[in-house]
Amino acid sequence: MNTYYAANLLIFAGVDIIACLALNLQFGVSGVVNFSFIVFQAAGAYAAALLSMPPDTAPDYSFQIYVGGYQLPFPLPWIGGAIVGGLLALPLGLVVLRRLRADYQAIALLVTSIIANTVINNARPLLNGAAGLALVPQPLDGLVNTSTNSYQYLYVGLTAVSVAVVWFVAARIVNSPYGRTLRAMRENELAASALGKNPTALKMTIFVVGGAIAGLSGAILVGFLQVWAPSTWLYPETIILFAAVIVGGRGNNVGAILGALLVPVGFEEVTRLLGRMNIGPPNLIPALEWVCIGLLILGFLWFRPKGVVPEQRRVFPGAPAVEEETRWVVGKRAH
Amino acid sequence: MPISEPMLGARDIHRHFEGMHAVDGVSIEIMPGRITGLIGPNGAGKSTLMAVLAGTLPALSGTIVFQGEDISRLPAYQRARRGLVRTFQLPSEFGQLTVLENLLVAAPDNRGESLLGALLGKRYWMPDETRLVAQARGLLKRFGLLPKESDYAGMLSGGQKRLLEIMRALMLRPRLLLLDEPMSGVHPSIVNEIAGYLEQLRDDGLTILMVEHELHIVDRLCDPVIVMAQGKVIGQGSMAVLRRQPEVVDAYLVG
Repeated sequence: MNTYYAANLLIFAGVDIIACLALNLQFGVSGVVNFSFIVFQAAGAYAAALLSMPPDTAPDYSFQIYVGGYQLPFPLPWIGGAIVGGLLALPLGLVVLRRLRADYQAIALLVTSIIANTVINNARPLLNGAAGLALVPQPLDGLVNTSTNSYQYLYVGLTAVSVAVVWFVAARIVNSPYGRTLRAMRENELAASALGKNPTALKMTIFVVGGAIAGLSGAILVGFLQVWAPSTWLYPETIILFAAVIVGGRGNNVGAILGALLVPVGFEEVTRLLGRMNIGPPNLIPALEWVCIGLLILGFLWFRPKGVVPEQRRVFPGAPAVEEETRWVVGKRAH
Repeated sequence: MPISEPMLGARDIHRHFEGMHAVDGVSIEIMPGRITGLIGPNGAGKSTLMAVLAGTLPALSGTIVFQGEDISRLPAYQRARRGLVRTFQLPSEFGQLTVLENLLVAAPDNRGESLLGALLGKRYWMPDETRLVAQARGLLKRFGLLPKESDYAGMLSGGQKRLLEIMRALMLRPRLLLLDEPMSGVHPSIVNEIAGYLEQLRDDGLTILMVEHELHIVDRLCDPVIVMAQGKVIGQGSMAVLRRQPEVVDAYLVG
C-alpha cells in the first residue's frame, strides 16, 4: 500500500466520520431529517477554497471565474468553512424548521439540495459553474513542501485533530441534558413543547451546529482534493451518509463512526477493488453500489432499525438519592 | 392572589375545524385549589378546549387570562413555563428515554440544557442534575415507580404511562394541570390508585382541570363540573346540581 493511497483512505475516513457525527446529531439525536446535509459540506468546501485561493485575476487562475479569493493562511480557511456552514443553517432553518411538519421539512430540504446544486452548476460567475474550482491551495502551502509523503501524513494528522475536536463536541452534546431534550423532541415534539421546550429553537441550534461541522468536513476535503465542483455534492451523497448513520446506530456517536467506516469508506473501497476485476459492462459496479446502499437502508430499517451499535440507555448509577419531600411540586416556582 | 380570584379565565373561545365549530364561544373560569371536571359526549369539544388553553392548538378568537396575565397569544412552551401544563389523551411518553429521563427532561432550570451549558461539560451542570435526579426520584417513590426508573418509558403499562405523564408535568411545578382523560386505557384496579394520587395533589394545593368520561371518578374527584356539548358549555356546578338539569341529562348523563 503506497503512502498516497493510505493517506487518501485515512483522510476520506476522517471526513466521513466528521460528517456522520454531524448528521447523527441532527437526524439520529434530534430527529431532524436534513436531506440537504451535503449542501452544508459543499458550502464549507467552497468557502475554504475561496478563502485560500488568490483572486481569479491571478496569472495561473484566470481560466476560472469566481467571487473573492483571499489567500488567507491556514487554519483560517477551515475555520471559515465551518462558520459559513453554520451561517447557511440560519436562513435555511428559519424558513424550513419553523412552521412545516417534520415530513414536509424533509421534502423541503431535499428540494433545497437539488436547487442549490442546479443554481451553482449554472451560475458560472459565482463559483465557476459546472467546471468547479481547481488549484485550491493546500493548507500550509508555501510554508512546507506539499508534494512530499510526509505532507500526506501531516494532512492525516490535521484531519485526526479535527475528528477529535468534533468528537469532543458531539460527545458533550449527546451526554448532556441538552442532548436529552433533543432526544425527547425527537420522540414526541408536541409533548416536549407542552413541557416548556421550544422545538424551533432546539432544532435551530442543532441545525447550526451540524451545519458548522459539515462545513468543516467540506473544508478538509477541498484542501486535500484541491478541486470542488457541483458533481461532487449531488443529493445522493446525503443518502449515503443517512445509510451510514442508520447502519451504525442512530443516536450513538460510536455508531456514527462505525457507519462512516462501513458505508461510505467501505463501499468506496469495495467498488474500487471490484472495478479492477472487469466484471460486466463498465458501469455495472457503480450502479450496483447504489442498489446495495438502497437495500442496506431497507434491510436495516426492517430487521435492525436501531443499527449495529444502538443508542445507549442512560442509567443513573449509585444508591438512589431521593428527596422525600415532594410538596415542592405545587410550591413556589424557582423563577 | 386572593382565593376568590380564578386561576384561569377563558372568554369567548372559538375554534373551528373545516367549518365545524369544535369550540363555539366557550367562557370558563377555573378556581384555585380544586379539581374541575370537564365532561360531555364525544365530539363536544373538550379536548379541543384543553388544547386551546394549553396553546398546543391556536384559538381563532377569544382571550385566556392565566394568573392575571393575558396568555392568549403565547405559544405552548411559554404557557408551560408559566405553570400551565397539559397531558395528552393518547400516551405521549418519550419512549426511547428511561422513566427517570422522562422526568428530568421536564425539569426547568438545568444549566446543562442549553447548547453552551452542554459544551461546558459535566462539571458545569452536574450540581443541577444531581438536585433534579433527587427530586425526580422523590416523585417516582411517591407514585410507586421508583423500581422502574431505568426502564424505557415505551415499555411501561398503560396505567404506568399515565402516572409517568402526570409526574412529568409535576416536574415543571405547575400551577394548573390540564389532564386529558388521565384514566383512559388504564386497568380498573389502577384507576382508583390514580384517583387517590390526584386527591393528594389537590390537598397539597394543586389546581386541576380534567376531562373524564367515568362518572364515578367525576363524582369522587371533581367539584365543580363543566358540561360541554356541540362546542358550547351547557351546564356548570356540582354533579348533584347538574343531575337535576334536563338539558345536561339529555346531552350526556343518559344515552
